[in-house]
Amino acid sequence: MNFRSECRKIKRTGFLPAFIAGGFLAGAVPVLNMLFRSANYIKPDVNPVEVLFMANWQTMALLNILLVLEGACILYHTEYTDNAMQRMRTLPFNESGLFINKFLLVLMMCTILVAIEAAAIGFCCEHWFGGTVIHGAAGYMHICIEILESLGYSLLLVLPAALLSLFIASICKNMWVSLGIGVLCIFTATMLPADNFVLSLFPFAMPFQILAGTAPDTVYNFITACIAEIIIILLAEMLFLKARRSFE
Amino acid sequence: MNIIETSNLTKSYAGFFAVTELCLHIPKGKVYGFLGPNGAGKSTVMKMLLGLTRPTKGSFVIDGKRYPESRIEILKEIGSFIEAPSFYGNLTGKENLEIVQSILGLPASAVDEAMELTGITQYKDRPARKYSLGMKQRLGLASALLGRPPVLILDEPTNGLDPVGIHEIRTLVRSLPQKFDCTVLVSSHLLSEIELMADNIGILNHGHLLFEGTLNELRQMAALRGYPYDNLEDTFLAIINDDNMQRSGIK
Ligand SMILES: Nc1ncnc2c1ncn2[C@@H]1O[C@H](COP(=O)(O)OP(=O)(O)OP(=O)(O)O)[C@@H](O)[C@H]1O
Ligand SMILES: [Mg+2]
Repeated sequence: MNFRSECRKIKRTGFLPAFIAGGFLAGAVPVLNMLFRSANYIKPDVNPVEVLFMANWQTMALLNILLVLEGACILYHTEYTDNAMQRMRTLPFNESGLFINKFLLVLMMCTILVAIEAAAIGFCCEHWFGGTVIHGAAGYMHICIEILESLGYSLLLVLPAALLSLFIASICKNMWVSLGIGVLCIFTATMLPADNFVLSLFPFAMPFQILAGTAPDTVYNFITACIAEIIIILLAEMLFLKARRSFE
Repeated sequence: MNIIETSNLTKSYAGFFAVTELCLHIPKGKVYGFLGPNGAGKSTVMKMLLGLTRPTKGSFVIDGKRYPESRIEILKEIGSFIEAPSFYGNLTGKENLEIVQSILGLPASAVDEAMELTGITQYKDRPARKYSLGMKQRLGLASALLGRPPVLILDEPTNGLDPVGIHEIRTLVRSLPQKFDCTVLVSSHLLSEIELMADNIGILNHGHLLFEGTLNELRQMAALRGYPYDNLEDTFLAIINDDNMQRSGIK
């Protein structure tokens, strides 16, 4: 199963435009927030990245998760609506390859999404904090690195949600069912208390985490848990495919 | 030489047997007609051959490769079309075929050839969702024919086609063994249709194989057992009827 054919399958599904539009929407969040309420945030001696994340990330992360869920649903919807999956399953390749390639596609989209968001945060730093809070080339360099680190962390933490969405979408032949389950999970995630480490490990809750201002130990724990979740969900999908083949 | 052989292939669903101890022998380079009334288990057998459903019991060998050990190897040799056409509705006919072509690692010319054979070239740039039933059916066939597989499994390929289309597809199926040097397993409820396409036939009823052999052998068997044999449709109906009577007698 090749990655290129997965990319071809998304033609005319609205998958690509959804991610691009979503990226710009998420990017608009910090910009608009600063446009109208910059007085609340601009103070001397603050860390601009931390301030921007604290003020906007909850909304941006929510958008990211919704997009990832929708993307996953679209990807499997094309397989199931006109029964294309049956033809795919009679071709000589392992079904797990299909899942992995769909995951790679979502990963690629998330990277684009996060890059747009990084640009927006960078723009806010430069426009509202430049000269007053950030000084000189070294200061800008430092901010750039911080933004990249923060969004790299965010990208990693959104992956378990992406995988879980794909897992749900691959199980349910009806897109509305998987979308419904996913929305319920996201809703639950937003209700979980953010200060409880174990509860915030729920895949749909993890993307709300922020790197800036978090203790290195906690960051380390989240990264470890995130990688563990990725492995577990991948294994669960393989098991599911095996089981489905033997029960059908 | 038999290219497909099944041994005691059985499929049961929650206590009822859809296919019972089936032993098929499909000779290489022939068109094998698989005949049976609705619910006889034709599609179930074909799905088992493709690994879409797992046999409850029994096994089969295709071109010397045994299921389930060599599932992927077996799939490399089969072009298939099962029940309803399956395709990506958002893609055009051509794009649909290109997906399969790239997965199978075939040259781009294979797509044009398959479209030409099934007569969908003029609709190739229309989204498959907007195809008529007959066009979808042809797209499914084109997809099965891609890359000239040595074995073709076609489940009611003329379903939903107009009389001209039926004739065209029949002629195509009939010519495939010579053209592509392949073996075709084709199912239908109509003996009159199978008669025009197949060299060998297998008759299935309630999951049991009632007859297997050439058309001439079927005529001989019918004559021997006192079934009508001048019209094969009548022969078929009589065989099925008799079997149904016996079955209700057993119960
Ligand atoms: N997933 C399933 N669960 C339970 N029963 C099933 C399932 N699939 C098929 N069956 C049953 O198995 C039997 C054989 O079905 P099959 O589809 O193989 O028939 P068929 O010969 O292809 O009929 P038709 O000519 O109508 O296509 C039917 O009684 C059907 O109800
Ligand atoms: Mg059928």
